Amino acid sequence: MVATTSQTVVVAGGSLAGHTVVAELARRGFAGDVVWVRGPEGTGPYSRPALSKELIQGKVTRDDIRLPAPEAYGLRLRVVDHAVCARLDPDDDRVLVTSAPGARGEPSDGDWIPFDALFVCTGTRARLPEAFAGLPNVHCLRTLADAERIRERLPGRPRTVVVGAGLVGSEIAASLRSCGLPVELVVQGRLPMDTVFGDDLGQFCLDRHHAHGVTTRLLTTVTGLSAAGPDGPVVLTFDDGGQTSADLVVLGLGAVTACEWLRGSGLDLSDGLGCDEALRTARPNVFAAGDVANWRHPVFGRRMRVEHWSNASAQARHAVESWWAGQEGREPPAFAEVPYFWSDQYGLKYQMVGHARGHDEVSVERTGADGHPFVTYFREGRVVAAAGVNAPRAVMRMKARIQSEGTTTQGAYAG
Amino acid sequence: MKVTVDRTLCDGNGVCMGIAPDVFDVDDDLTLHIADEIPDDPAIQAQVRQSITSCPVLALSLEE
Repeated sequence: MVATTSQTVVVAGGSLAGHTVVAELARRGFAGDVVWVRGPEGTGPYSRPALSKELIQGKVTRDDIRLPAPEAYGLRLRVVDHAVCARLDPDDDRVLVTSAPGARGEPSDGDWIPFDALFVCTGTRARLPEAFAGLPNVHCLRTLADAERIRERLPGRPRTVVVGAGLVGSEIAASLRSCGLPVELVVQGRLPMDTVFGDDLGQFCLDRHHAHGVTTRLLTTVTGLSAAGPDGPVVLTFDDGGQTSADLVVLGLGAVTACEWLRGSGLDLSDGLGCDEALRTARPNVFAAGDVANWRHPVFGRRMRVEHWSNASAQARHAVESWWAGQEGREPPAFAEVPYFWSDQYGLKYQMVGHARGHDEVSVERTGADGHPFVTYFREGRVVAAAGVNAPRAVMRMKARIQSEGTTTQGAYAG
Repeated sequence: MKVTVDRTLCDGNGVCMGIAPDVFDVDDDLTLHIADEIPDDPAIQAQVRQSITSCPVLALSLEE
């Protein structure tokens, strides 16, 4: 390592990827300065998967899900809370750090901070159509504050409509139903989580919602929301002309990448922040990790972004390795980790490895005493993903197979 | 190197098993089993450290 104590690393983003970059720099004994710009929340990093699971159900509190403080690792670290990276200079290696919108204190023009390396870990935010923003009793679930606002409402047992049945929407519906709330789930597609899991597990997931008393509207899009006031119901109108009302609406409409601050920097922002296989952007000392990073996965031969926990921490470590390798004159390795996520619904553990998008064939087996579906996804004859319910061994066995088939046939199904 | 798990926290999500399959094994009842002997292999020991810091419920800890 040719790093000197005069180097400065800027880490943009205060969640798991940013946290892991800082921890990895500490682990490697980085002797320079680290400026960690953690965004508007001011909470410090926490375990986001718990929000839609244990936290909204009141099984854990914010103190239980806090990530360890890397300040303890002995880095020369400056933590900047309630602040964001607002611009990357297109010509110079420096970022403009300003107070976050809505932050207390005197507004300022911000400070330009020069860097030797920049790690972009600004992630995603909940997708919220403008017409749905700011309504009383209508919530997204992305941040700890969002989750705590929802949890505060539970004692009143509000009639709840969850809009969107992807991973997060489906999980929120299950968590709130498990707390005894009356829940209706609005599903844009034919089945919950079908864009992730396909038909077999999607049907299984729908059946579980019904078995636990959730009502569903399939193939339905919300076209309007109107709120009667802080104490009144929210009226939802649907594209089929239908209507319903709710005391509480939770929107699970997916996420959008938070990288508009990089506009004008010369970087590829076509879907998230574009990087090469080693997580380097078009600028040699700017790296990306986590939900925001769009890279070409060598195992699957295609570009992707992955919005899951394991990916954020693994990419963060890898991005630091890429920078480190470059400093030492080594060629940085490709990031080839096979994606993995899990979901908890009604006491069942859904798990998936791989990347099922574009699959052209599935095989469905039944596992365990309850005969849960176990799905293997193929693309052009090769295994690209596998998913199961309460079947961690079978799922994880497939991880190695996906990795090795993809690696041994690299490029065979590039797309 | 010895790893311990807080069973009141572990919910069998399998992140550790994905990183260090030679050491961590989650069975179909979602109970985590940890290998008695962690191999004296730097690559595996690095995986174990990653597993500890990657645990989303902070259930794992290391006794060196």
